[in-house]
Amino acid sequence: MRSQSSFDAIIIGAGHNGLTAAAYLARAGRQVLVVEKNDWIGGAAVSRSLHPGWTYSNCSYVCSLLRREIVRDLDLPKYGLQVIPYEGGASFTPDGDYFAYYSDHHALHREMARHSPRDADAYPRYAQMILRQCRFIRPFLLRDAPDPASLRPRDLGEMAHIVRQAHGLGRKELAETLRFWTMSIGDLLDEHFESDLIKAHLAGSGIIGTGLGVYSPGTAYVLLHHYMGDIDGGIGAWGFARGGMGAISNALGAAFAAAGGTVRTGAGVAQILVKEGRVTGVALEDGTEYHAPVVASNMDVKRTFLNHVDRAALPEEFTRAVERFKIRGSSAKLNIALDRLPAFPAAPAHASFLRGDLHVSQSLWELERAYDDWKSGRWSARPYIDMLIPSQIDPTMAPPGSHMMTVFVQYAPYDLAANGQRSGQNWTDTARQALAETVLDQIAIACPDIRERIQHMEVRSPLELETEVGLTEGNIFQGELTFDQLFFNRPVPGYPGYGSPIGGLYLCGSSAHPGGGVMAAPGANAARAILRREWPRAPRKGYAA
Amino acid sequence: MSIATDPKLGLIDGPVHPRLAALNRARGWYGWAGYAAPSMLDSVEFEYFALRNQAALFDISPLHKYRITGPDAARVLNRLVTRDVTRIATGRVGYAVWCDEESMVIDDGTLFHLGPDDWRLCCQEPMLTWLLEAAWGFDADVHDESREMAALALQGPTAFAVLCAAGLDMGHLRPFELAQAQPGLMISRTGFTGDLGYELWTAWGDALPLWDRLWRAGENLGLRAIGYEAVNIARIEAGFMVAGVDFQPAHATERLHRAHTPLELGLGPMVDFTKGHFNGRRALLAAKPRSLLMRLDVEGFKPAQGALIYHARRREAGHVTSGVWSPTAKRNIALAHVQMPIAARRPSDLWAEIYTLEEGKWDRRMARLTPVRSAFFRPPRARATPPGQT
Amino acid sequence: MSSTRTFDAIVIGGGLNGLAAAGVLARAGQSVCLLERAPHLGGMAAPDASGAPRMAHLLYNLSPTVRRDLGLGTRDWPFETVALPTVALSEDGRHVITQGATVRLADGSAHPDAAAFAALFERLTTYAALLRPLAETAPPGGAAPRLSPDRIKEIWRLGRMGLGLRRLGKPEMRRFLQILLSNAYDLILDELPDGPLAGLLAADAVRGAAAGPRAPGTVFGLLYRMGHGGGASLPRGGMAAVINAFAGAAGRAGAVIETGRGAARILTDQDRVTGVITDTGETLHTARVLSSSGARITAEMTGLAHFDIESTRRLRHIRARGTVAKINLTLDALPAIPGLPDELLAARMVIAPSASYVEDAFNPSKYREMSPNPVIEALLPGQTDPAQRGARGHALSLIVSYAPVDLAGGWDDAARDTLLRTTLKTLTRYAPGLPQLVTGAEVIPPDRIEAETGAPGGHWHHAEMSLDQLLTLRPAIGMGRYAMGPSGLYLCGASAHPGGDLMGLAGRNAALAALRGAP
Repeated sequence: MRSQSSFDAIIIGAGHNGLTAAAYLARAGRQVLVVEKNDWIGGAAVSRSLHPGWTYSNCSYVCSLLRREIVRDLDLPKYGLQVIPYEGGASFTPDGDYFAYYSDHHALHREMARHSPRDADAYPRYAQMILRQCRFIRPFLLRDAPDPASLRPRDLGEMAHIVRQAHGLGRKELAETLRFWTMSIGDLLDEHFESDLIKAHLAGSGIIGTGLGVYSPGTAYVLLHHYMGDIDGGIGAWGFARGGMGAISNALGAAFAAAGGTVRTGAGVAQILVKEGRVTGVALEDGTEYHAPVVASNMDVKRTFLNHVDRAALPEEFTRAVERFKIRGSSAKLNIALDRLPAFPAAPAHASFLRGDLHVSQSLWELERAYDDWKSGRWSARPYIDMLIPSQIDPTMAPPGSHMMTVFVQYAPYDLAANGQRSGQNWTDTARQALAETVLDQIAIACPDIRERIQHMEVRSPLELETEVGLTEGNIFQGELTFDQLFFNRPVPGYPGYGSPIGGLYLCGSSAHPGGGVMAAPGANAARAILRREWPRAPRKGYAA
Repeated sequence: MSIATDPKLGLIDGPVHPRLAALNRARGWYGWAGYAAPSMLDSVEFEYFALRNQAALFDISPLHKYRITGPDAARVLNRLVTRDVTRIATGRVGYAVWCDEESMVIDDGTLFHLGPDDWRLCCQEPMLTWLLEAAWGFDADVHDESREMAALALQGPTAFAVLCAAGLDMGHLRPFELAQAQPGLMISRTGFTGDLGYELWTAWGDALPLWDRLWRAGENLGLRAIGYEAVNIARIEAGFMVAGVDFQPAHATERLHRAHTPLELGLGPMVDFTKGHFNGRRALLAAKPRSLLMRLDVEGFKPAQGALIYHARRREAGHVTSGVWSPTAKRNIALAHVQMPIAARRPSDLWAEIYTLEEGKWDRRMARLTPVRSAFFRPPRARATPPGQT
Repeated sequence: MSSTRTFDAIVIGGGLNGLAAAGVLARAGQSVCLLERAPHLGGMAAPDASGAPRMAHLLYNLSPTVRRDLGLGTRDWPFETVALPTVALSEDGRHVITQGATVRLADGSAHPDAAAFAALFERLTTYAALLRPLAETAPPGGAAPRLSPDRIKEIWRLGRMGLGLRRLGKPEMRRFLQILLSNAYDLILDELPDGPLAGLLAADAVRGAAAGPRAPGTVFGLLYRMGHGGGASLPRGGMAAVINAFAGAAGRAGAVIETGRGAARILTDQDRVTGVITDTGETLHTARVLSSSGARITAEMTGLAHFDIESTRRLRHIRARGTVAKINLTLDALPAIPGLPDELLAARMVIAPSASYVEDAFNPSKYREMSPNPVIEALLPGQTDPAQRGARGHALSLIVSYAPVDLAGGWDDAARDTLLRTTLKTLTRYAPGLPQLVTGAEVIPPDRIEAETGAPGGHWHHAEMSLDQLLTLRPAIGMGRYAMGPSGLYLCGASAHPGGDLMGLAGRNAALAALRGAP
């Protein structure tokens, strides 16, 4: 290991966005150091072996949003990244039936018709509308959000671009788009479908990771946020990274190393060093200091500026805006090692949908009530679960014949209410175990023998996501995906361009535009902004250009 | 990690699948609304000539079929389609096209006026939700009978003879008329080939015996089962367009501005602006056609399928959506979208850029295009009543 | 009346919007006939027989533009309003009094959050004033050709708004663009601790809406309320004075106003409006109909066949779920509210002890249940204007949220009784002994509001004021600029832009659109 202490740029946090930004900067010829507080890299895109023989994607667990432009720029397949699409999904009912989602149109039509012929017919038009919205929004993900208050040519140019794009939609489609963006997923689904089960199945993507209910305005956009990815051009398709989500981070790490970058793990940052309004480096918790004229933080905006920057170095109005930024923990996670595949009595033999995302929510109203529980500081009595068994497709996740199950749970508050107090500290072992029991009861709707199958189980409340991964309140998006925190309002008004009031200090995580999910767009966009501002003459390639 | 095949995936059997499976020696299947339908049973060439020279039988049961009934049925349909359905008399069939509010064509199909306040709509695209929305607030019922009604198309010069041999004398039936041949069997003199032909409508479970009955009757009349590829040649000769090929159905179009108005599809005569409001009427009155679907005669012998079209050999001016060599008309024919205002001038200086691959060598040639007014092939036998036996 | 009558325009509905439309048209020289199904004018504003308020009881938003355009408040049609303070009641007697941007406690002491409240209030009223021009014209997005005068005017107006926005300065401009789409709950609690003051703002943001303060977009509801300064005011002489002024202005300009006659059908020929058949069977000829009924009802009167299928689908999906009940109590004596000086009984009194209380009150309404702990706006109009005291004793006018129109089991006698008991129980926590003073009670749930006024779903605004139903999206895509369906047919009620709230702008804007005849 070199004992270098000065770099061109330091990235705080080796999450997928930090590594992406680092790799782009290194490929532009910069000397880049990534410091990571954990002993491993990956942030929330990790594969962990917590039980011998099993691998858990114990935070993020499926892949779709990762921008293909970035995968190609950084040559990630060369560094081991393989993404395999999965085939569908299902929602199970307590009375032994199910609704299965197939990617095969005709199989889907027949399955929907089993529940409602009308819904089967309505679905293609619904899907067409979602795809239109995806097509509209996707090109914005790798562009900068303009500051509408600015008169700089770059901002005006971006604003003009937006106006042109909107104008190109035509009057009716523009109106439909505005309506779509401002409505709730519940209202949207009610307009198209009649079957409660189908609606509940389709609604999940509208609430995953957010502090909103299915009938909260803006959740149709959240759904879009989960659909605007693709696998090999199949828009909205999701898949598994072979070897777990850590494969993404490892590939990014390898691409970064190949470009000459350095990663220091076990190197938590205590303070971001600022002198006369400019960043000068970072001081680690162990006292080590690294110096660089540019520091980009993969931490969320609150953690970065409220915990690691001297408040006196920041304008009060900026700090206040950061304090107002909403990062709400709303989800938990169970990672389960299974001795064998649990039985799904309702599913026909060889059902392909078992290899997809499985759910047990029965109606939009059940989901809305789950949200009400969360508002009151309780985890949902009947939570929404997004459950997958990736080891059915990926042979690296569990020993042959055994399986690994990942269960995403919505809603679980960060500030759990107990004894009249709401606090993250209320997530005691007892509370976590009680949450797990609630979730297992839900899973048992689909597979009654789930409890007998468990070899090992990891229960992650929002508190663990915060303490281990560093996500404030355990929010998976590093900040709510609401209108007031998207696009030019993300992370805070006036700073949509990844910069901050401190010269040379940047954000490169999901708190920045375009937001969360394993997308890597904030990292790539941040690198582009950094290169443009700090080293305008550096050689740039791909999306860094 | 067993990846066995899910039985719910893949294509399903239509009502006469056992017969088709036995005949399908080429084993060419394609998916039509989820059903396994033959693209070719043994050879496209012989199937095509059976259709134009003798008689051909094919299963059209995968079509979507909707029954619209009730006192307001005609009002609902008139609200839906661009033509005036009150002019389709009971016992007659009419071609119709319908649009969205922006006057973009959603689909086309045939309307069967079965009886007073009783209609059937047959089309390619699923339309149940749309029909229910059209009928909302009206005293009319919409029922999806796609999976209840089967249909066989019997087409070709000896089609009438085959019917007679099967004991179904339909000599009185004029083009676009329908009749109840016997309980549970309706026959219409309709088809998608431009030739003499009939479509036979019966319950799903009765389709197989009907097939066998026609098959036996056609034994000495050259009857042959055919697949889609042969039908496709015939329908281009007849100048008929296909949803998803010659136009993009508005409800199935992800990309914006890809759909077409009926005027752009050359369906002006199908639009009745005087009948009162119909869906998309206001937009259609205001819309300026951007292009026109034209029938074109292509110079040379290479089919122009997918070719770009140039005006004066230089300016890109459209593209071919369907192009084949017509074995009957002995012409190289095409349906193509040509941009306005070039199309309106019925131009002579249009060229198709055709790429050919012959034994490993790609070649590009420019073929002159000549607009054609009517169908490429329209035999008098198609209209003769009573029809001839051969 | 055997001879057929012909008018330049017919207005359906004699609420404030219908009257405003008729007034504007008549003053522009058009011959106008206004039809009102009820025997009296005013719609939701109509008072009871004694002059006490029946449904609406306060004015927030009566548009000065409408006043000007109708010549109200001038010598001809004077009417006067009294600005009321607001009391946010607190169970512990530490009631919070607000008037405009000022806030204090009922005992006269300073409110600890007075500065924060004033800053927030100023900010919201500034933003609201900025948005106001949007309400005073058809929403942007017309089909007018690029260089037409209408389009140029529209661009000019938007440009002026943009300029106003710039004048705020960069930080405030950015803040504006952020909070415009935000939720009231977070906005309020970012500045104030949760309590009666926060609760008051939260309740004002969502009153009349089928939404809780945590719903994104509810800041807009607050801004809407604050478009004219944010204060509640009571018209002297009651709502009757307002209605008379509107009707007087229209009538004096020559409008024919007929009550007790509703429109049964709107006639068309060749995609143009040709007349109206009244429910008394008379045919009136006209080329223009302005309807202040809901959009769907208007389309049904015209015949759905005259609308595109997409339009009828959208009409069906307009969200208009009334969640507010009106309760009118008669008290034989003034209630005593511990901690509240008697003179403040004249104030607008609000029971919303915290923002989270408002959200909790909203939750059951989603599941078609009424709130066990409702949010209440209470008013003793007689304390300000003796003319509105009611026939006997003291009229206490209550707006009770949430009481959904689609209550599970329906609004039968038992349900109305439950709502009354729940309301009294809630009031008793602040005014002990109040139930003993009650000598009469009338409960008007949203279904009754719908039955009596025709408001879809009994909703104040005829259509939910959520972001996806505003501006050109209001009430639905393709009918956002007043014209809908056959030419000559216009919406002029609260379901049209900018919405309801006894403002009169929808009617006035629609009349201007009809005069232009522009799509």
